Amino acid sequence: MTRENKKIIAFCCAESAYRAADRAGRLRIRYPDNVRVIRIPCAGRVSVLHILKAFEKGAAGVLVMGCQEGACRHLTGNIRAKERVKYAKDLLKEVGINGQRVKMVNFGPDMAQKFAREIEEMVEKIKEEK
Amino acid sequence: MPVKLGLFLCDCGGSLKNIDFPKIRGNLGKLEDIAFVEISHNLCLEEGEKAIASRILRENVNRVVIAACSPALCEDKFMRLLEGLGLNSDLLSIANIREQCSWAHKGDVTEKALEIIRMAINKARLLQGVERGEVPVNKEVLVVGGGFSGMKSSLELSRLGIRTTIVERESTLGGKLKELEGFYGLRTSPNEMFASMTRMIEEDKNIEVFTSAEVARVQGEVGDFAIRIRSGEKESSQSFGAIIFATGYRTEILPQDFELKPGGNIISQQRLVEMLQAPEKLARRPETIGFVVDFSDENSRLPTLSALKNALAVKDKLGSEVYVFCKNLKVDSEGTEKLYREARDRGVVFLKFEEKPRIYGEDGRVTIEARDVLLGEEVTLLCDLLVAEEKALPPEGTKALSSMLNIETDSQGFYQDENVHLYPVASGRKGVFFVGGCRGSLDLGRASTDIASAVGSVHELLSPGGAMVEVEKVKADSQKCRACLTCIRVCPHEAIRLVRVDSERWVAKIYDLACDRCGICAAICPATAIKFEGYSDEQILAEVEAI
Repeated sequence: MTRENKKIIAFCCAESAYRAADRAGRLRIRYPDNVRVIRIPCAGRVSVLHILKAFEKGAAGVLVMGCQEGACRHLTGNIRAKERVKYAKDLLKEVGINGQRVKMVNFGPDMAQKFAREIEEMVEKIKEEK
Repeated sequence: MPVKLGLFLCDCGGSLKNIDFPKIRGNLGKLEDIAFVEISHNLCLEEGEKAIASRILRENVNRVVIAACSPALCEDKFMRLLEGLGLNSDLLSIANIREQCSWAHKGDVTEKALEIIRMAINKARLLQGVERGEVPVNKEVLVVGGGFSGMKSSLELSRLGIRTTIVERESTLGGKLKELEGFYGLRTSPNEMFASMTRMIEEDKNIEVFTSAEVARVQGEVGDFAIRIRSGEKESSQSFGAIIFATGYRTEILPQDFELKPGGNIISQQRLVEMLQAPEKLARRPETIGFVVDFSDENSRLPTLSALKNALAVKDKLGSEVYVFCKNLKVDSEGTEKLYREARDRGVVFLKFEEKPRIYGEDGRVTIEARDVLLGEEVTLLCDLLVAEEKALPPEGTKALSSMLNIETDSQGFYQDENVHLYPVASGRKGVFFVGGCRGSLDLGRASTDIASAVGSVHELLSPGGAMVEVEKVKADSQKCRACLTCIRVCPHEAIRLVRVDSERWVAKIYDLACDRCGICAAICPATAIKFEGYSDEQILAEVEAI
């Protein structure tokens, strides 16, 4: 596993987090450039497999970004995503990867600052571990 | 057919200066399955579109990758462009190199852009076209509830030539219209409105009415709901394309909030309206009348509105002194501010309290004690009548109906008022709409907006092309499916059902029109039988692969 490039994969719900990321760009809010956004229709589309595969391919951190609880377009998608992230955390711990490297975050489509902050936090966390 | 990719790079009018486009072209042009890499300055303008069209046709590519601005902005446009060329619009993959790359970082970001484009290329290689097709839709609409909202929805739909059936629980139509004293800002009285609407409905050939009836069962999905209507002992089944719920609301005094004992001199708004409708029957004209509003409930627009309206009616018909006891008067619904001013001009006295007033009802009068914030003094008032605060609540049967539909209610128990994405009248289930009081739109203005919105959506669905879908974009593989029901349980849109394939086997089937393409089922299926084209496991992992 290569950790040198320290990429972070962010699975972003097209309804909220992806828009927040777009907005961050539009407002020129700077955040670390090692994040790679994958657009998904709903955070509920992310399965444990996707999270684990991301680590297998060398990602240093995975963020699952969905809508605010209670405001998911697909009603329960973000809650299911949260459960899966929790499950993936446990699996990662079992193989000796810090569970904090995967995180579920809830967004509204205008939360550009929060998007940038979450990326920064994840980068910091990974730095600390090295 | 082997993959043949066409890659378009857009530098957004030359503004993405921190990306080295020729370098990207040099780098990616070497890939075997890429037919060409074209750098353009403005793909979204007409000349850009023309350039895309001519290049695609000339090179005869079967996958298109566009590296430009956010797909939230440009995806629809380019999909339509591909469709216009006779290509399947699902064969398009977009790399967001503007908002999430060039604009988000300082300094040279060519490496990141390159990687984002690689992700899009990886995904594009695996894309399969999805056909478009129209799902047959039943052209009749069911309206549940025959109050103002229900009647108005039916009449509006009928004007568009859509047949509707109204199911009303009471023995007559009208709902709350029969109970109201007046509308503020409308010259028509509720009674006149009720009479003219019922007459129009009776004369309308497009509207069928079941009174003393209720919905006993809802099955099926948008385009083909199978509804069982129970009316007395009889039950009948009918099929509808869409359902509009207009089940209204009820109001209730909340005696526990003030330790009140309603009755005698403490009455409800409803009782006051009855008094005002026949003032000659009163044994004695009340000298002073008090109203209590906005102490028990934050969402008190309707009680405020009706208290103001009734206070003015009291002034008109009885000429009594009127006091309104409030904490904060909610004047944000349409026309309420004006109504408040009018009430003050006409001599209605508003007293503002921080705490709940202490109320004693004895000896034929009601005593109210509280500390007035503006005077800074304890105030004691005697009233002949006190009109207590009412709370608007969802009607009885809402719970039963929502569990029958498998649709959630909000924290107040109303339908779907809080989900921003479903705003304003749609529900998690396609083809099911909520209008008026049952979703908390309690005043006439907001209910009318709801109705217009729902009628518009229903009309769109039932019009030609309204049921055009991507056929089997999300599909359960009948060979892999083990009928474990997991997907059926998790589907938030009630779009999956079991169907029989032969004498022994049942498999999950996803209904294209009811499906909202969220992919929750695809993520949870233990047999990985469900494939979501465009966001399949392979396609998502191919993107991951590129990092």
